[in-house]
Amino acid sequence: MVGYTDKIKEIAGRLLKECTVDMVIGFRKGTMPMMNEPCFATTPEAVDSLVWDSNCGINLANYLTNRKEKVAVIAKGCDSRNIVTHIIENKIKRDQVVIIGVPCTGMIDKRRITDMVAGEILDVSETENTIKVKTADAETLFDKAEVLQQNCALCIHRNPVIFDEMVADAIPEQDVVDRYADIQKIEAMDIEDKWRFFDDLLRPCIRCYACRNACPLCYCPTCFVDESKPQWMGKGQDPMDVRTFHFLRAYHCAGRCTDCGACERACPVGINMRLLTRKLEKDCQEEFGWEAGLSLDQRPAMDVYQANDPEPFIK
Amino acid sequence: MELMGIEPDRLHFSWISSAESTKFVNVVKEVTEKVKAIGPNTHFIKNTAKVA
Amino acid sequence: MTILKIDKKNWAEGLTAAANTYRLFGPVKEKDYHQFKALEKGEMPDLDMINTRLSPKALLFPQSEAMLECSLDESRDDHHIMKEIVRDDKPRAVVGIRPCDAKSTLLVKLNFDTPDVQDPYWLGAYHATTFIGMACDTPLSTCFCTTAGCGPYHEEGLDMLVMEQGDAYLAKLLTDKGKAFAAAAGWSETADDSAAFEAGRKAAEDRIVSTVKTDNLAATDLLELHGAPFWEDIAFSCINCGTCTFSCPTCWCFDIQDEVHGKSGVRMKNWDSCMFPIFTVHTTGHNPRDAKAQRVRQRFMHKLKYFVDKYDAGIMCVGCGRCVRQCPVNIDIRRVCEQMNSFKTAESCAAEG
Repeated sequence: MVGYTDKIKEIAGRLLKECTVDMVIGFRKGTMPMMNEPCFATTPEAVDSLVWDSNCGINLANYLTNRKEKVAVIAKGCDSRNIVTHIIENKIKRDQVVIIGVPCTGMIDKRRITDMVAGEILDVSETENTIKVKTADAETLFDKAEVLQQNCALCIHRNPVIFDEMVADAIPEQDVVDRYADIQKIEAMDIEDKWRFFDDLLRPCIRCYACRNACPLCYCPTCFVDESKPQWMGKGQDPMDVRTFHFLRAYHCAGRCTDCGACERACPVGINMRLLTRKLEKDCQEEFGWEAGLSLDQRPAMDVYQANDPEPFIK
Repeated sequence: MELMGIEPDRLHFSWISSAESTKFVNVVKEVTEKVKAIGPNTHFIKNTAKVA
Repeated sequence: MTILKIDKKNWAEGLTAAANTYRLFGPVKEKDYHQFKALEKGEMPDLDMINTRLSPKALLFPQSEAMLECSLDESRDDHHIMKEIVRDDKPRAVVGIRPCDAKSTLLVKLNFDTPDVQDPYWLGAYHATTFIGMACDTPLSTCFCTTAGCGPYHEEGLDMLVMEQGDAYLAKLLTDKGKAFAAAAGWSETADDSAAFEAGRKAAEDRIVSTVKTDNLAATDLLELHGAPFWEDIAFSCINCGTCTFSCPTCWCFDIQDEVHGKSGVRMKNWDSCMFPIFTVHTTGHNPRDAKAQRVRQRFMHKLKYFVDKYDAGIMCVGCGRCVRQCPVNIDIRRVCEQMNSFKTAESCAAEG
């Protein structure tokens, strides 16, 4: 992905100069290693601050919801699938958005890298396949493949599925042997262990809702956890309320989630809530042969009825 | 729900027409038996909010 | 000022002795990060930690705290009458709190302890607590405490400041509470070594690489700053989660909720966040801060302008850097502060020619 930045600036500058769009949504360099900040440019001069590297894990489809102006947006494979979902769900119109596609070789996992080195990370730089991490006293070189976010390591749609411009040629998709090994491990547990597993997983949750708010699917004007008339659930730190929030939110993403990883990346306390959304993703695939956001012409699995839908659980 | 640790026999789905009274009775009997067999729910319950 | 010398060999023993008088709290590592919690018998605070993921504000201001309770059983005479919950305000001590977090309790106190209204829950916990601070010799690149009204050896808000010196700890007793804790721990060997603290402070402050400028905030016109052109740009990336407010040691806002379970009810206070849209929703349904940019502006204006104007006690920030490190979209308060502090109104620009 080295070199994408220049091409992005060129495309964004052209779109703004020709008045094709009113605004380009992308990333600017962050103030911390391994962090970039979503930003917008409305003038050709402003595109100079745009960047692209392996720290653009936030899903920019999240910034398209209900926009009225003409927008260009930079989209990885997963972002493009969420844009498809947005269009299907009438959150943005196809002719209002110019999609600048990015064939994506994956985002790096800042939490894992932080755990892998001793001392504070002061600088992180990258080449096509390596990540160099500097601390005050040492420099460590990682294979990028070793430090990818888990959802990127398991990704089978790295190329945008829908785009108007591309910053580079498509890249080969990964052959991932088993996308759901970790889910199968939980499925194989007995019922008590399952309960304890999620107790332990969700215990650190502080209900900041970063996972929900980083998610492009979570655009409800009032979320069920915030609703007060009627109030569906308690607002305190009771473990049952915390659990209710997490599993109900996952259900709301069923058949829509593209496993972009924004939720897990955003979590300040490091909870892998993707274990819930991916179970539903797996079920949608097994039961309905459905993967979210691949085509504008198909209605989502949870949105249609077919006479041959499997229903062995209904007696 | 099962993945999260709710016993599969605790949650039942059925599609019963208003004309299918026999099916309704049978389903209710079956649900009652299965839930009695696994006993009271110990997991997904909230009594008084657990707070500091 | 008394300075004690505590051989590291006597540290654990002292804390164990103090545990007879105090409930001890301290930083411990859980999963992959540190947090403050009640120490089990014999458990020691991890003083090597850099800082905890969440601030220790929850020790005085729990995320969810029951305030009142009542019975809904109509056969009882006192049904539906809210009663105070019996509180456990026995002496407690937090060991290993960083000076920045200790200073933050004084800023929070401005809110919970006013001449007109005192919050009995927060104050009860505050008065019961002895603050044993650990000087901070390894600040992070995101720490800007020295320009946010405190520093790595800052003493405000502490009862005792401890620093490391080879095989020993030096402990400066700052208050009577601090003296009482030292007595309970059985630490009594004095050392006349204020120079060590001075040298430690100097060395630690030299390691702080991050700063903010706040000199113009008070003089800048409030409404002009409120209408500044940069808020849309700052707020664009914000996803309106509560990470910054919940990790912040000085954010004090809460929401009151009643919960009923069967025949009993409880009234509790829960952390709230000005980032959440429902924070300001009126019962009419109107929301005066309906847009994201308004909420983001509120948070920074509160910390860096309203608070400055109202209390004349500096900014409502101690420079711990938690929000900088944890914001999922990298909104950096240092950058925002810089923009606010260097903001010039059209008028002042004209005056300067």
